[in-house]
Amino acid sequence: MAKEFELNEVEVWDGNYAASQALRQAQIDVVAAYPITPSTPIVENYGAYIANGYVDGEFVMVESEHGAMSGCVGASAAGGRVATATSSQGFALMTEVLYQASGMRLPIVLTVVNRALASPLNVRGDHSDMYLGRDSGWIQIDAYDAQEAYDLALCAFRIGEHLDVRLPVMMHQDGFTTSHKAQNVYPLKDEVAYKFVGDYVPVNDMLDFSRPVTHGAQTEEDWHYEHKAKQHKALMDSRSVIDEVFADFKALTGREYKRVESYMMEDAEVALVLLGSSVETAVLAAKQLREEEGIKVGIVSPRCFRPFPYDLIRETLDTSSLKVVSCLDKSAPGGAMGALFNEVSAAAYTTQARPMMTNYIYGLGGRDFAVDEAKRIMREQKAHADAGHITTPIQQFSGLRGPKLGFFETRRS
Amino acid sequence: MAITSIKNLKEFSTTNDRFEGSHLLCPGCAHSMIVRELMNSTDDNLVIASNTGCLEVSTAVYPYTSWDTSWIHIGFENAATAASCAEAMHKARKRKGTLKDNDAPVKFVAFGGDGSTYDIGFQWLSGAMERGHDFTYICLDNENYANTGGQRSSATPVGAHTTTAQAGSVSYGKKQKKKDMVAIMAAHGAPYVAQLAPNKWKSMAKGFQKALEIEGPCFINTVSACTTEWKFDPKDTIGITDLATDTLMFPIYEIINGHELNILYRPKNILKVEDYLGAQGRYRHLFKPENKHVIERIQKDIDEKWEFLQRREEARI
Amino acid sequence: MSTGVLGTDKRGIRELGAEEKVGWDEVSEGVVLNSFEGVAEDIAHKKAEERDYSDFNSYTATVASWRIIKPVYNRDICIDCQNCWVWCPDTSIISRDKQMLGIDYDHCKGCGVCVEVCPTNPKSLLMYSEAADNEEALAGWPQKEKKEKN
Repeated sequence: MAKEFELNEVEVWDGNYAASQALRQAQIDVVAAYPITPSTPIVENYGAYIANGYVDGEFVMVESEHGAMSGCVGASAAGGRVATATSSQGFALMTEVLYQASGMRLPIVLTVVNRALASPLNVRGDHSDMYLGRDSGWIQIDAYDAQEAYDLALCAFRIGEHLDVRLPVMMHQDGFTTSHKAQNVYPLKDEVAYKFVGDYVPVNDMLDFSRPVTHGAQTEEDWHYEHKAKQHKALMDSRSVIDEVFADFKALTGREYKRVESYMMEDAEVALVLLGSSVETAVLAAKQLREEEGIKVGIVSPRCFRPFPYDLIRETLDTSSLKVVSCLDKSAPGGAMGALFNEVSAAAYTTQARPMMTNYIYGLGGRDFAVDEAKRIMREQKAHADAGHITTPIQQFSGLRGPKLGFFETRRS
Repeated sequence: MAITSIKNLKEFSTTNDRFEGSHLLCPGCAHSMIVRELMNSTDDNLVIASNTGCLEVSTAVYPYTSWDTSWIHIGFENAATAASCAEAMHKARKRKGTLKDNDAPVKFVAFGGDGSTYDIGFQWLSGAMERGHDFTYICLDNENYANTGGQRSSATPVGAHTTTAQAGSVSYGKKQKKKDMVAIMAAHGAPYVAQLAPNKWKSMAKGFQKALEIEGPCFINTVSACTTEWKFDPKDTIGITDLATDTLMFPIYEIINGHELNILYRPKNILKVEDYLGAQGRYRHLFKPENKHVIERIQKDIDEKWEFLQRREEARI
Repeated sequence: MSTGVLGTDKRGIRELGAEEKVGWDEVSEGVVLNSFEGVAEDIAHKKAEERDYSDFNSYTATVASWRIIKPVYNRDICIDCQNCWVWCPDTSIISRDKQMLGIDYDHCKGCGVCVEVCPTNPKSLLMYSEAADNEEALAGWPQKEKKEKN
């Protein structure tokens, strides 16, 4: 039996430590992992729990991130709880296997500490890796601080392993700004946390020899389409399970999570949509601007990045006061509008309000996103609202040195 | 009751197949001979992982499986990782008592072709061997990427024609020597490493049984004659394999704990390599006068390797 | 022609690929395939005829249409050496209690390996055209070949 880890009511943890404590409390059967900055401490901390008897499971230090996710798939198909951690290039290396994990409906939990993708090489936080995973068929949930990294990692097991879901779950947090920033965290006691997560229920268990099972069959044109459709439906339907698990977590802890978080949207004239640790900055900026300049700013954040909360985004943006919505993408868009912009715009298009939509690229490679920059964007939004049309390029790079960089001029709303 | 030794073929034939027919492998394919023999050499529960390759694309195409055991395929490169981490899961669940039957004996096996073993999955295999999992990796070595139509691999021998190392007016086929995977695996310090061939069914069954019984990561390279890409009649699979072992193109031997080498088959009459090469279309061009030197080189390599193996065996270290 | 393991009518066997194409709501979750119906303990100690194969098991499908030539088996000459059994790549030599019973024509692809590895003289297995009549083939079986002396 694993030893109980004595925890205080309040601990001072960074995001990495918080995530590793949640993994420990879930009593994972196999962690197959490979270290990479900035998520390395998750793996190291877990190694310390193993070395000191706090975990009963196996800890397999593989030779690469591709090996880590491959090991997770093999272990998960063998009927137990599985998790790992990664970032950036490691995430990119495991991408092949991410698609296989979801297609095989294996409820692996991957804690991703978001970091930029090379080239040029960069160890700081942006959302390039998170975006790379967005078509991989995983549930993607985003934590904005260490407390959330802890809470949502516990929720991730419950969601992915739910018998109606059986899909892998990524639990994101921002590299350094969350992963290495210490703050007060209120953990659950080991027993309470484990009870919330629950015992693992094997499905199509390779180690149940009374029911030999083949995993990873090939499907060609006669069958592939039906299987992918079924998988997509499971991912879309997971929305109700996510809501249910968040509700249970609130009942247990009082801490509330929603698939779409929104702040001050009731009377907002302009709104920012963004992800990660920047949300906190944006909320602070919005509060100050409301007070200082009377600009009615609201903030929206799709905490559940996948399945994309089209339903709740539309609901949140469907207010008569709303005139301008700007989506902030912390990932190099690679010759397109930002992903958040594209997806939120599609949802906003079906609202009565049909706000003007603009896109900002920001914070690449860990460039700081401060309150002043958020305010500058909000003032631009207000100018659009007052003019009745978009007064800048639709896509702009914010906080960038050199001449202004933007695309797609328009005079129309 | 575990199968301990197999005295003769009659006795072996009373085992029950767990690899079923109506798979999609080519008529006369040696892969399935080897897989059947592995599965029939034990009655323990099996968890089998397969890399992408001929075996995988022929035995689990929805809605059919040819496997009567637990089986998994992930990708081209990672069957060793899948099998080894399934083994880790077994350890964890056994410790926690969450297995359906905590005492049921189980063996973990990974299959890969030479493409996945020698090339694309080399790193994954090396990692799993180094970590020391209790599993057996079996390479079905047909010396080319047969699944995709016969491209060269690092297991393709000198002089063989493949679609990416072609024989032509200025080329005699592949120029590089075959990678010595058995030596590389032995260098990992694996407790049991062997090179076996299906025509020598008894040494193959014994080798499989040893690998399954010995705790730790074991590696077996098996010669798997490929009727389609080696270009011979499907009926001749065993005959070609006889030539492979009797010319010593494919010597049969084992290496225990990384150093103790035992030769498992000594041909009574060692045949000249021309007999083997001449029986296959992939070497046809070597019999042109200008390519005589290639055959000489192949024979020289074989002779040197055989000398090396015999000396290593005698050394007993 | 119900002859136990050799009989095709017993299993409701079908052409590989002739299965019903069900909709997305009916395909298996995670593309898994169960080899047997329900609980199937101790498969290693069960003969094919004692197993409850699921429709997903390739055993329940036939590749007979691949074949243009077929092996015919002559019980009278066979010495039950089991060479054909061990080297058959298609699990199509049916042996029970150390005796060769015959060829599983549902799974045999007609490669001819069994004939090549047969050590008897004359051979106990010979290849014939797929259309040939087995009884006629047996009636016209070749005689023992005399080894040529040089």
